[in-house]
Amino acid sequence: MNELLRIENLHASIGGKEILKGVNLVINEGEVHAIMGPNGAGKSTLSAVLTGHPAYEVTEGKVLLHGEDLLAMEPEIRARAGMFLSFQYPVEIPGVSMTNFMRTAINEKRAYEGKEPLTPKEFLTLMREKKKLLELPDKLNNRSVNEGFSGGEKKKNEIFQMAMLEPCLSILDETDSGLDIDALRIVAEGVNRLKTPQNASIVITHYQRLLDYIVPDFVHVLADGQIVKTGDKTLALVLEEKGYEGIA
Amino acid sequence: MKVLRKGDIFEQVFVDESVNLHIVQEAGSRVKIHLINFSSATNTVTVEQTGEGCETEIYALAYVRGEEQVTTETHVKHAVGGGKSNQLIKFVLDDNARGRFIGDLKIVQDAQNTEAHQTNRNLLLSETAEMRTQPQLEIYADDVQATHGASTGQLDESALFYMQQRGIGKQKARQLLVNAFMKEVLDKIPNSLIPNSLIPLLDTIDGVVE
Repeated sequence: MNELLRIENLHASIGGKEILKGVNLVINEGEVHAIMGPNGAGKSTLSAVLTGHPAYEVTEGKVLLHGEDLLAMEPEIRARAGMFLSFQYPVEIPGVSMTNFMRTAINEKRAYEGKEPLTPKEFLTLMREKKKLLELPDKLNNRSVNEGFSGGEKKKNEIFQMAMLEPCLSILDETDSGLDIDALRIVAEGVNRLKTPQNASIVITHYQRLLDYIVPDFVHVLADGQIVKTGDKTLALVLEEKGYEGIA
Repeated sequence: MKVLRKGDIFEQVFVDESVNLHIVQEAGSRVKIHLINFSSATNTVTVEQTGEGCETEIYALAYVRGEEQVTTETHVKHAVGGGKSNQLIKFVLDDNARGRFIGDLKIVQDAQNTEAHQTNRNLLLSETAEMRTQPQLEIYADDVQATHGASTGQLDESALFYMQQRGIGKQKARQLLVNAFMKEVLDKIPNSLIPNSLIPLLDTIDGVVE
C-alpha cells in the first residue's frame, strides 16, 4: 500500500492562538479516514492548513504529499498536485461562470501536468458526463459560481468539481451539513463512485449519519488540537451513542 | 452643446478618450453613453431632460494602474417629469492610481414620476490606490423613484482562496475577479457598437462576446 499523506506533529495557529497541537496522521492510497470531534477541536483548521489557507500559520511539524513537502507549496500548487477541499461554506463568485471557472481550473492543472488544454468540445463533454453523476441541471454552466445556489446545490457542486478535477486526496469538510436526506444520498454516492484504489478521502463530520453512506476505514477523534483516539467505523457509532465525553 | 429632437437616439462608446459632452434632450429622446478608460482621462457628461419621456443611460468603466488618474463627472438634470435615468460607474484602481467620481443628479420640483438611479462601485487592487466619490443628489420632486449607492472595496479574499484551491494561480484568479467586476459595465455595450480595441479584453470575459 502506497503512502499518500503523512502528517507529523503538526502545530498551527490563527491570530496567535494555537489550534492544532501536534497532529499525527498517515493516509494510504485507497483509504477513507473520518475525522470527528466537538466544535472547536480543530477539524476545519486541519483542512485549512492542509490546503494552504493564508490566515493560518504552521508553527511546527511537517506534511508530506507523495513524499513532497506540502507546506512549502502555494495553495494552487497543492490543488494541482491533487489536493481537493470540499468547502463547508462554498464561496459565491458573482460574474464568473461555472464554465469559465472550471475550464480555467482544469487547464491550469493540465498545464502543470505538461498536458495540452482541453478543447471546448472535450471540456463540455466532460462537464456533461460529470454533472450526471451529481444530478445537477445543465443550466448550471452559465450561472455564476455558487451564486444563488441552494445549500444542496452548493454541496453537489463541490463534489461535481471534485469529479472534474480527479484529486488524489479529497477533504470533505462537513459536506453533510445543511443537506436533506436525498441530497445527502446523491452527494455520498457521487463520492463513492469517485473512489479508486489510488485516491483517498478525509471526511470531516460532526455526525455519524454521513458515515452510513461513506463508510470509513478509520475513524479519528480530534479533540483540543490532537487526535486522541483512532478506531474502525464502529468508533463512530460509539461516539454517536456516548458522545465525545464517553470516549475520553 | 448637442440638442436631441423628439424621438432621437444618441448612443456612443468612447474608449480611452477624455469626453466632454453636453446634451439637451427633448421629449422622447434617448441617450446612452459608454465611457471606457484604461489610461488617465477627465470626463464631463452633462445631460438635461427638457421634454417628457426621455431616457438617459450613462455607463462608465475606468481600469487604471501606475500613476494614472481618471475623473468622471456626470450632471444629470430632470427638468421635466416622466423621464428615466440610469448611471452605473465603476473604477478599478491598481498601484498608485487615483479615481474620482462626481455624480450630480438633480430632479426639479415639477419633474414628478421621474425614475433615476445612480450606482458607483469601485475596486481597489492595492493599498496605495485611492478613490474619491462625491455623489450630489438634489431631489425637489416628491413623487419619484430615485436610488443611489456608492461603495469601494477590495477583492474578495475568500473567493481568491476558493479559486486557488481549485488550482487556479493567484494572478489568474485576481484577473477573473476583476473581469467579473468589469463585466456588468461592459455588458451594456451592444454588440454592434463594440470597438475593435475592446475585443481582446471582452474575449477573456464570460458571456460578453459569444
